[in-house]
Amino acid sequence: MSRLSVEAGTEKRGTILKVYGFLIFVFLYIPLVVVIVFSFSPTKTIVGMSGVTLKWYKELARDAELLKALLHSVEIGVLAVVISLLFGTSGAFFITRVRFPGKGVLRAIILLPYILPGIIMGLTLLIFVRSLHIPLSMLTVLMGHVSFTTPIVLFQVSSRILRLGPTYKMAAMDLGATPVKAFIFVTLPMIRTALIGAALLAFTVSFDEIVISYFLTGTWMTLPVYLYGMLRFGLSPKVYAVSGFILALSLSLILLMTRYIGSSAEVVVPKKKLIKASR
Amino acid sequence: MNNRYSLRKEPLFDKPREFIKGIPIIVWLLFLVIIPFAFTIAMSFYSSKGLVIEKSFTLANYIKFFTEPIYPRILLKSLRLALSVAVIALGAAYPVAYMVSFKLKRGKNLLFMMCIIPLWVSYLVRIIAWRSILGNRGVLNTILMWIGIIKEPLTIFLYNRFAIAITLTYITIPFVFIPVYTSLEKIPKSILNAASDLGANEMRTFLNVVLPLSMPGLITGFIFAFVIALGDYIIPLQLGGTQGIMFGNLIWSQFGFSFNWPFGAALGLILLVISVTILGLTAKYGSTEGGFLSE
Amino acid sequence: MDSHEVAIELQNVTKVFGDVIAVKDFSVKIRKGEFFSLLGPSGCGKTTTLRMIAGLENPTEGRILLEGKDVTGVPAYRRNVNTVFQDYALFPHMNVKKNIYFPLKMKKISMAEAEPKIKSVLSLVNMGGFEYRLPQQLSGGQRQRIALARSLVNEPAALLLDEPLGALDFKLRVAMQKVLKDIQRNVGITFVYVTHDQTEAMTMSDRIAVMNNGVVHQIGSPEEIYNYPSSPFVASFIGDMNFLRGVLISREKRMGVVDLSGEKVFSEKCAEELRPGDEVLFCVRAEKVLLNRKRSGSKNVLKARVQRVVFRGNDYEITCLLKGQEIRAIVAAANWNSSLKEGADIVVEFKPEDIILYPISGEKEVIKYSVEAV
Repeated sequence: MSRLSVEAGTEKRGTILKVYGFLIFVFLYIPLVVVIVFSFSPTKTIVGMSGVTLKWYKELARDAELLKALLHSVEIGVLAVVISLLFGTSGAFFITRVRFPGKGVLRAIILLPYILPGIIMGLTLLIFVRSLHIPLSMLTVLMGHVSFTTPIVLFQVSSRILRLGPTYKMAAMDLGATPVKAFIFVTLPMIRTALIGAALLAFTVSFDEIVISYFLTGTWMTLPVYLYGMLRFGLSPKVYAVSGFILALSLSLILLMTRYIGSSAEVVVPKKKLIKASR
Repeated sequence: MNNRYSLRKEPLFDKPREFIKGIPIIVWLLFLVIIPFAFTIAMSFYSSKGLVIEKSFTLANYIKFFTEPIYPRILLKSLRLALSVAVIALGAAYPVAYMVSFKLKRGKNLLFMMCIIPLWVSYLVRIIAWRSILGNRGVLNTILMWIGIIKEPLTIFLYNRFAIAITLTYITIPFVFIPVYTSLEKIPKSILNAASDLGANEMRTFLNVVLPLSMPGLITGFIFAFVIALGDYIIPLQLGGTQGIMFGNLIWSQFGFSFNWPFGAALGLILLVISVTILGLTAKYGSTEGGFLSE
Repeated sequence: MDSHEVAIELQNVTKVFGDVIAVKDFSVKIRKGEFFSLLGPSGCGKTTTLRMIAGLENPTEGRILLEGKDVTGVPAYRRNVNTVFQDYALFPHMNVKKNIYFPLKMKKISMAEAEPKIKSVLSLVNMGGFEYRLPQQLSGGQRQRIALARSLVNEPAALLLDEPLGALDFKLRVAMQKVLKDIQRNVGITFVYVTHDQTEAMTMSDRIAVMNNGVVHQIGSPEEIYNYPSSPFVASFIGDMNFLRGVLISREKRMGVVDLSGEKVFSEKCAEELRPGDEVLFCVRAEKVLLNRKRSGSKNVLKARVQRVVFRGNDYEITCLLKGQEIRAIVAAANWNSSLKEGADIVVEFKPEDIILYPISGEKEVIKYSVEAV
């Protein structure tokens, strides 16, 4: 049942709404479709498609600089995720379990690097590192990434902790588990999927990040920075191919992530395990 | 069920031992937020002479911003643009959110995901997409010529405020969609049934029940779109051309060509104050959940 | 009570949260093997008390002793009591066997040693064969039994149950009440049971502590509490009590004579504190209000008029106007006759032992008035 009982007269209005909604949808997806289509187009100019080719993608594979940038993006993504899992998870437990005044303010400040326009964080960190005469390198880019991936992990994990509630830990302690054992045997397994989901989300955001990275990058480039550089020379088919690749990768990561984040995720038990368990 | 164990007024601070959990995050906060901001604030009171930064306290940067008319004008221009973008994004996202929430029986989750996905699949790629659509040899021109509306490609689509606006709108629509959708979903079905039962048709239910109840989400979405649009520098840089100096790329240029870091710091702090103030409004008037960071 | 027989003792236990007194000066000795209930409305402090016994909460003042040893301040994981939570708190990432094994694992007992214990406790709750199921695959009642098994497998000194049947529907609840009582008797383990359902407490308990707003009004057996409630709160919380107003004419020991709107009524349960001339709270249970009985030599016979008759299946609830005050009577369906219809003039009768008299206190909170037979 849809949520409103639709009477005869409103059906027409309903259709207008649906058409409008559909148009917005199309609007949201057409640019992405355009990019993908062009990445397969053999002509160098943008106008006039004549067939499908993987030529541009193959060129990507041969572009050493590009591959290096891709590698860098992966490296920094993984590092940022690992670091923010440590800082973010401990922070999540700190915020949800420990009592102290001013929690709301603390949460807001921690959230800032993620929700503020990237330019603010970018320039702030740039001024910071250069004032200390730290050269722009992988380290500075990593700092930039950790600044926004940590809030992601912290808020995802604290959201899960709050949803699970304090009862499980209490039950564990009541049954004889010290706080440490309760954490290892009960709490940690129960937030496992939140950790995985947050890691995937953080990686995706990091992989795509250009705004802050651009401030903090020297010669060590991530893929988006490299791509941005390519834009200086105008739109070429290679640009579309890179874009297509990025789209595909991000999409798969996001779809993978949805398995782990969400209200049903903490009871996600892969079918195999369920069958094995009931044996 | 959780509330059974939290109806209490406990002592203000836990045992000191508990605070060990907080050390990493406080260290993070110190080194990646607090100290850098302290440096930036300091920087905003310095001045630059050529390639050298003079570390003597001065209010010159702020004075420069407020007195030379071009700067406030750019800020105002950006504020106006951000406002329009937020309004249009709201106008696009709200009806879609309403449609998905109220008018769909099956496939709600799927469509929700489909509205979110553009958010996560690369900011830069989306900008590239619009450049290719709006350009002289872009998709839009091609289609218009092919249909026969125009003979020559129009240059009015790219490298101007229109291009910035449409791209920013495109970027911000998902940011508006999420909080609006969340707050619409939270309206209990029973309230809608009650309204209908008491004689309200759909439009009246919408105006008197749905719209007010979805206000927090609406405000949150609007504010997110506004702040994002205000602070963006890459889109004006890539798509704005000579007309496209917005506050964002004004700040950016201080760290690029102009090498006037103190002035850039001051401008950045001004943007910070504006952003934080406006974002702070969400805490008061908007909804604090429905963020893309909570489950 | 012999100290060997005491499983749990509370000595002047008080718990304060900020400026809220959650539990005030609670002292009790709970016997080994006793089924002891904490009964009261939401927020009365019963759950807080339970948590303090469990070690999940520490008293602000007072001491808690388990089997004679002072455990105040000892954390939950080192106390030999286990809790069954209202939402069961079965670990969702472990199957039934692993859930039950958990407390044994914490005691470093190997799985090999634990297997027979797990098996026996599962058969105790009638869930043999469910070892490899996951909690999500179980129904509410089944989860409850596994939670029970998990808490029992360690053979604790006492089992603490926090409204364990709250989430079950009525028929299942009644069935589970019997199961719980049987298990408690068979195993011989001390139960401390928290509930807001007075029928549940009355049915299952050896003794009940009735609480309100942190204060323990009365501790006694179900019969004592029913027949000799020590405060108007206890009187009103158990069963259906009528509260009328009158003035005390005279008293001798526990016998009192009341002026009830002009009529003299005799009571055998007059609160100690009452003096002639005091306003009294005149209490009689609805099921003890006798209507239109053939004369049985009772002293308390008054005229009244029937205002409303409600048929409730098992019985009739008849509301009467007795000298300007409303009074409810419950008449078993079998005993009803047509003389008891709306508007009819009838005769109301009370036995003196069924009338309880309390002072009307100026404060809202009436603490303790002993009306027990001397």
